[in-house]
Amino acid sequence: MSTDSDIIRRSRDSPAVFGQLYDRHASAIYRYAARRAGDFAADDVTSETFLIAWEQLGNYDVSRDDARPWLFGIATNLLRQHHRAEATVLKAAAKSAAREALADDSDRIAAEVDAKVATGRMAHALKSMAAIDRETLLLYAWADLTYDGIALAMNVPVGTVRSRLNRARQTLRTQFNLEKLSETENHHGRPAAAPRNA
Amino acid sequence: MDDLQLLREMRSDVGSAPPATLARGREKLMTKIGQSSTVEETRPQATVTPIRFRRRLLFVSAAAALIVGGIVVADVVRPGAPGATAEAAEVLNNAAAATIRTSDPVLGPGQYLKIETQELTGGGAQTADGREVNWQETTAGQVYVPANRDGEWVWNREPRVPLESSTDEAKALAAEIAARDSYRPAGQPSSVGIVRAPGGAFYGNEPTAIIGTPLKDAGNLPKDPRALLDLIYERTKGAGKTPDSEAFVTIADGLRTGAVPAELRAALYKAAALIPGVTLSDRQATIDGRTGTAIGIPSPDGAARTDIIIDPASGLVIGEQSVLLNYLGSPAGTVTSWSSVRTSVVNSAP
Repeated sequence: MSTDSDIIRRSRDSPAVFGQLYDRHASAIYRYAARRAGDFAADDVTSETFLIAWEQLGNYDVSRDDARPWLFGIATNLLRQHHRAEATVLKAAAKSAAREALADDSDRIAAEVDAKVATGRMAHALKSMAAIDRETLLLYAWADLTYDGIALAMNVPVGTVRSRLNRARQTLRTQFNLEKLSETENHHGRPAAAPRNA
Repeated sequence: MDDLQLLREMRSDVGSAPPATLARGREKLMTKIGQSSTVEETRPQATVTPIRFRRRLLFVSAAAALIVGGIVVADVVRPGAPGATAEAAEVLNNAAAATIRTSDPVLGPGQYLKIETQELTGGGAQTADGREVNWQETTAGQVYVPANRDGEWVWNREPRVPLESSTDEAKALAAEIAARDSYRPAGQPSSVGIVRAPGGAFYGNEPTAIIGTPLKDAGNLPKDPRALLDLIYERTKGAGKTPDSEAFVTIADGLRTGAVPAELRAALYKAAALIPGVTLSDRQATIDGRTGTAIGIPSPDGAARTDIIIDPASGLVIGEQSVLLNYLGSPAGTVTSWSSVRTSVVNSAP
């Protein structure tokens, strides 16, 4: 099976080959963008990502077999134009979790409700952190890029990726633990499980 | 569960793109590649952005307009109020009134509302010796909406056909592209042929009236044009080039389906009349052999305009077109793409 860089190399001579890169990765780019900013933005971001990739084909370092960091890097830049849509998504996630917490939903087991509520807190935390930290964190957690991949995607040294990720996860944990704690005391009366990686 | 685990699960229910959306995106990309590859060696010009005509995939969300709602009181746009030009507002408000007068077709048991669309778009390719060849091609499709809208909808997608006037070389290249397009990665359906879906949920997507509201809930949308427009602005926040052009395109998307109930159609016309920048483009616009009034909004850079074309007598949208205004030396008024919509009642579906 050919690598992404094979495809890119070949498509410099036969442009039609570039379609194969789209077939491989468009769906992942779309889903990532949809998770961050909704379907509406994802539609735009996906097609623009590949159009820009095509325009910048000459800049691709063909010694890198996997094109995902490059493509997610382009998508990350494009998603900045959709920051309002992203804020709406996060706000909605936070809100629906709050509703969930209040609803008398006897069919659902408490743990599931807890997970929903926790998700709402994640949304809060994501909203409150710096955009650049959020981008780094989500490239890691949602796009499944490695540290090296994120460094490539965001064009920064790996050390910077590490420190951004640390900072972002700190925000996440703080939000999660603080609220979990107060919820334990106030509502459920049972101890919160300590995060495994705390 | 640790924080990362939780984060990974957050919004993990968001699915991937519907195959048809991906197929459409691929087409767009391949067209662009075909057009731009001759200028590969030139430096990208920072000041000129290529126009990308936005054509959101709609799953021709036809639904028989079975519910003809209550009376909509025709609002008059106040002179001097922000919104469309006076001429455009008049056309739109007249269309709303005509819509209410001519009620939607009523289907008997076993009958279908047939929505035929025809689309003209640009095609292009690069030849082996590096030349660029462009042509225009049409695509037709038909959606059959059953009298009982929960029943099975049928959608026939025809292949793209280059215009008869195209050169032999263009026709040959178009055939080559068609052959290549018929290849689909495993699990992805082809973009031509018949698909069927209960309730019109082609590829798992329910037909929508406007973004965020399924067609079956069209009756819940605000009847007041201002409230409806505000809702559209809210739901399209952050998308498109400007909020106004995005709102107009959203309304055009709804009207183009040929299936939005008359009452909502009327409200959409009146909402469009409230959008700043909307103008009367052409009183006698011809599309696919029919003539209507074109109402449009220019793109923010002034390069092109998107029009909807309304049959003033019935208040039906008969089509849509993209017109160049000021773009890279092309003659102003060049129609770069159009689509037409016709609806009829038929007794059977394929």
